[in-house]
Amino acid sequence: MRKILSLLLLTAASLSAQDLVSFEKHVTVRKLDNGLTVIIVERPEAPVFSYATVVNVGNAQEVPGITGLAHMFEHMAFKGSETLGSTNYDAEKAGLQKVENTYAAYDLERRKTIGRDDAKVAQLEKAWKDAMDEAQKYVVPNEFSKVVDQAGGVGMNAFTRSDETVYFYSLPSNRLELWAYLESERFLHPVFREFYKERDVVTEERRMRTESNPIGRVVEEFLATAFTAHPYRQPTVGYPSDLKAFSATDAAAFFKKYYVPSNMVVAVVGDVKPSETMPIIEKYFGRLPKAPVPEPLRTIEPPQKAERLVVLHEKSQPVYLEGYHRPAITDPDDPTYDVMEMLLSVGRTSHLYRSLVRDKKIAAVAQGFNGFPGVKYPNLFTFFAITTPGHTPQEITTAIAEETNKLKNEDVTPEELQSPAWRWSSRWRRRSKATGASCSASSIVSTR
Amino acid sequence: MKPMKCSTGSQPVGAGWRAGATFALLSIATAAFSQVSNYKNIKTPPLRSFTVEQPKRVVLSNGMVIFLQEDHELPLIRGSALIRGGSRDVPADKAGLVQILAGSWRTGGTETRTGDQLDDILESRAARVETTGSEDATRVTIDVLKNDFDFVFPIFVELLQKPAFRQDKIDLAKTQVRTQIARRNDEPQGILQREAQKLGYGADSPYARTAEYATLNNITHEDLIAFHHRFVQPNNIVFGIVGDFDSAAMEKKLRATFESWPRGESAPPPPPVNAQAKPGVYFISKEDVTQANIAAVHPATLLRRDPDYYAVEVMNTILSGGFSGRLMNEIRSKAGLAYGVGGGLSSGWDRPMLFNTFMGTKSQTTIQSVDLLKQEIADLQTKPFTTEELQHAKESILNRYVFTMDSKAKVLNQRQQLEFYGYPADFVQKFQEGIRNVTASDVERVAKKYVHPDQLAILVVGNEKDFEKPLTVAYGRVTPIDITIPEPGGQPAAAAPAKGSSTDARALLNKVRNFVGGQTAIANVQTVREVGTMSLKTPQGPMDVEVENITRFPESHRQVLKTPMGEMTMVSTPDGAFMISPAGPRDLPDSQRQAIRSESKQDMLNVLKNADNPAYTFNIVGTENNAQILEVNADGSTFKWYVDPTSGKPLKKVSQGRMGEQVIEYTEWKNVNGINLPVAFTVTGGANSGTGKMSTIEINPAVDAKLFEKPVAQ
Repeated sequence: MRKILSLLLLTAASLSAQDLVSFEKHVTVRKLDNGLTVIIVERPEAPVFSYATVVNVGNAQEVPGITGLAHMFEHMAFKGSETLGSTNYDAEKAGLQKVENTYAAYDLERRKTIGRDDAKVAQLEKAWKDAMDEAQKYVVPNEFSKVVDQAGGVGMNAFTRSDETVYFYSLPSNRLELWAYLESERFLHPVFREFYKERDVVTEERRMRTESNPIGRVVEEFLATAFTAHPYRQPTVGYPSDLKAFSATDAAAFFKKYYVPSNMVVAVVGDVKPSETMPIIEKYFGRLPKAPVPEPLRTIEPPQKAERLVVLHEKSQPVYLEGYHRPAITDPDDPTYDVMEMLLSVGRTSHLYRSLVRDKKIAAVAQGFNGFPGVKYPNLFTFFAITTPGHTPQEITTAIAEETNKLKNEDVTPEELQSPAWRWSSRWRRRSKATGASCSASSIVSTR
Repeated sequence: MKPMKCSTGSQPVGAGWRAGATFALLSIATAAFSQVSNYKNIKTPPLRSFTVEQPKRVVLSNGMVIFLQEDHELPLIRGSALIRGGSRDVPADKAGLVQILAGSWRTGGTETRTGDQLDDILESRAARVETTGSEDATRVTIDVLKNDFDFVFPIFVELLQKPAFRQDKIDLAKTQVRTQIARRNDEPQGILQREAQKLGYGADSPYARTAEYATLNNITHEDLIAFHHRFVQPNNIVFGIVGDFDSAAMEKKLRATFESWPRGESAPPPPPVNAQAKPGVYFISKEDVTQANIAAVHPATLLRRDPDYYAVEVMNTILSGGFSGRLMNEIRSKAGLAYGVGGGLSSGWDRPMLFNTFMGTKSQTTIQSVDLLKQEIADLQTKPFTTEELQHAKESILNRYVFTMDSKAKVLNQRQQLEFYGYPADFVQKFQEGIRNVTASDVERVAKKYVHPDQLAILVVGNEKDFEKPLTVAYGRVTPIDITIPEPGGQPAAAAPAKGSSTDARALLNKVRNFVGGQTAIANVQTVREVGTMSLKTPQGPMDVEVENITRFPESHRQVLKTPMGEMTMVSTPDGAFMISPAGPRDLPDSQRQAIRSESKQDMLNVLKNADNPAYTFNIVGTENNAQILEVNADGSTFKWYVDPTSGKPLKKVSQGRMGEQVIEYTEWKNVNGINLPVAFTVTGGANSGTGKMSTIEINPAVDAKLFEKPVAQ
């Protein structure tokens, strides 16, 4: 099976080679002196551009006590900077320092397990809250977002995953310099204003995505079971206890360690000429101070010695997940896993659709996919199924086993492999249509 | 820190990096106080002018409108037929028809090829032909590599004009929609969205109603064919195509294909919106959540073609545009009460929509959040729109305008949409002008005209025991909304018109009652215990299950199943329902509780005990072989008995389950203490097929009441 696979992948590559060559002609990549990688893709169809800043940090860089901090920082990156979001930064800065000091005192007392003085806790909490009210006086809420909106920004957002944190939006192309200023300033002079209120907002995000959503609840249990040591076991949004405890001081330390130019990629796609754009990017982003690349992650998930099963009894209808450990994306077998994903999951000719959805009618959705929860480190090939009424997770287990056994024991025909090869190349072409998508895709590829 | 900050942030375009210049700037900035944010010093060159190529519009003699848009960037061609007629155009008792239609149109294949064959043909070429449906339209789309167009296009045309809607794929689509129905109460945001629409438009409105098990059961192959025939006519279609082709050659191809298609009946105008949200507070209980989801809605009247549309768009942007609207600033950033918050006044293309705002907050701040959300809505009429707010909103809308036309495909889609709703082609261009002309007093006026803070229906979905105080304490009258999923044939008793029973049906029922044991003997049965075996057909092969049923009339049931996977106990009483599995006891979800209740109403002895209860009605609806078909409505739960008219013996029972029709044939009867009961039966259809045989039946045995109590979890 292996042999046929690699042969056909070659065909797939040659099919899209022509597109790749013409695509590459429009791509300029440059590493600045401070280590920042810059990618510019010229696509002059309309006077607009999209960008993505990809930072090589995610919740895999967290340890217990600060889980959720990578994501928390992502939220803080919308709070402006020293020059944006404040009516009087000097006064605000002093106020924010006071917030940190009072919080540290309050947090220390309230988390004492022995000899806690509740009256003192209340008093310290009040001091902290008063300090927050004082600092808040200088805040211009969401001024960063306001400037981007008013300049015509669309699709402004960011996300944090296990492996990376990504920031993005699009602007009309005459706003390139404004963007270069705002985006570099965001990582040059971040200000941790409204940190504790935003921590509440993030906690609401956790309530929405995890606590009040049965799929969110089961995914959290699933990952905590699948990984025993590697940080992939920790939820990206963080544990509630950590969300209640960590401080802006913690966030600043995390930022300092990981938000260094050598750990970041900035990609711009659209009506941008590299000859004009690169100097602007260099001028603004070149200001980010050079710093050492953070050391690689130490923990490696130990081999799994026994099957692990987690059953979450809920009032909702069943949701089924089944995962298998697989190597990181850098492994030479990675393309084989991709083809396996296509054979099992993509389209109505895929094995899982035909067996579980179309013929057995035990699932409304049945897929197997790579890269859960990330790809940078050894991760999971995961099967996901939604049962149809009257059918049980046990039936899903049996049916998936049938399909994986077939894949293991029977040869995949060349005809069948040709289809994913075609689909792969055409999917690539379709994806490169969207400015935003090709932008983040190319920059993500580059960070890895 | 300060000098560094000022020097780094304030470089004007092209300015040198000289220390002198920096210091000069520093002193100016200090003097002017740091309110002058440095981003303002960055120059904005004028946006490069560019003209968007408009697609070519072609009208065929049969009324079909075609838009052609060349785009040679990549060797792809994409097209879509936008067809008038959608879910709002089907009768209420067939709600879900467009979902089933869209779900089985492509998969059900064409006259010459099955859907499975199409899967193989298309996927081997990485081509896509798909069908979707929405409130007012259905769509057939094609997406191919340029070189495959001539091969795939005829498939697209055949699917558009001659779909087969094969029954197996209709069944598959129904299974998919049943799955959605079964899961629709699992996630609180889904509940909020759906029920807010129902509050706003009225639960039965064509703009809010949802598919139910019962309405799915009403949808047939003939219905789909009839819908297709009614709406898929050239004069109801706006077809758009974009990609790497030559327009003249493509136009010729399309004319050759579609010109001879005869014109059909036009689509009807949109059904009226009889919006009817009654002001007040509504509550849906959901216990497995830590967050309350809140919506505030009222009916709106605005259409997009109205000149007020522009001022309303500016108002919406001030309220919730981007990440810097009032709702975001006040509720998320300043108060930290929500992650998701938003909404505004929607303007429909061809029918009025709703004013709808929503948010999610922790259970403990529910009332506080409702109050704050109401305040923000009221503020639209009382808190003046500042010059800054107005300018910010207008500039945001105008500056992002370029993104409405930054690709040829987007421009094509717009033209198609405008044509579809009968809007002028320059509507999009006029939009800019419309926004530019909006003044603060316009926004003030539309906020007063279209927003009605006193008419809001507030909906809360959440776990009330964790709220800071009960909703009734905060707001007085609160209307609970029951979202229990109705079982097929189990419409709420109030909704099912009480039809009464016919005389001949009464006579037949009496025969059945006499066959089973007579009125007195049946009335004396308080408890029945049955033990036996069921042999089920499962996808893994046959499976034997030992079963013990205990029924305590009127409505307590206990069932123990011993399966190869372990022992399962299910108990349903008027107080609730729970199950005990090897993992321990747990409460059953409302949907299952409802299913068990509905099923237990159909119990043979229960029906006969209630022969004179007006909530139970009986009618003869036909004959089959020599049997008479007695339709029973057991307090909202309906099924049919096939009865031997001579002896009164029931031969089989037919009911609609969520898995489709289920038939139970009674193959053997046994008389126990004067009561005749079926002891062997065959089941086909529904969730489980197989046979059952009862080895023991006891009438009024002693039963420990504890068996019906939920054990404490370990």
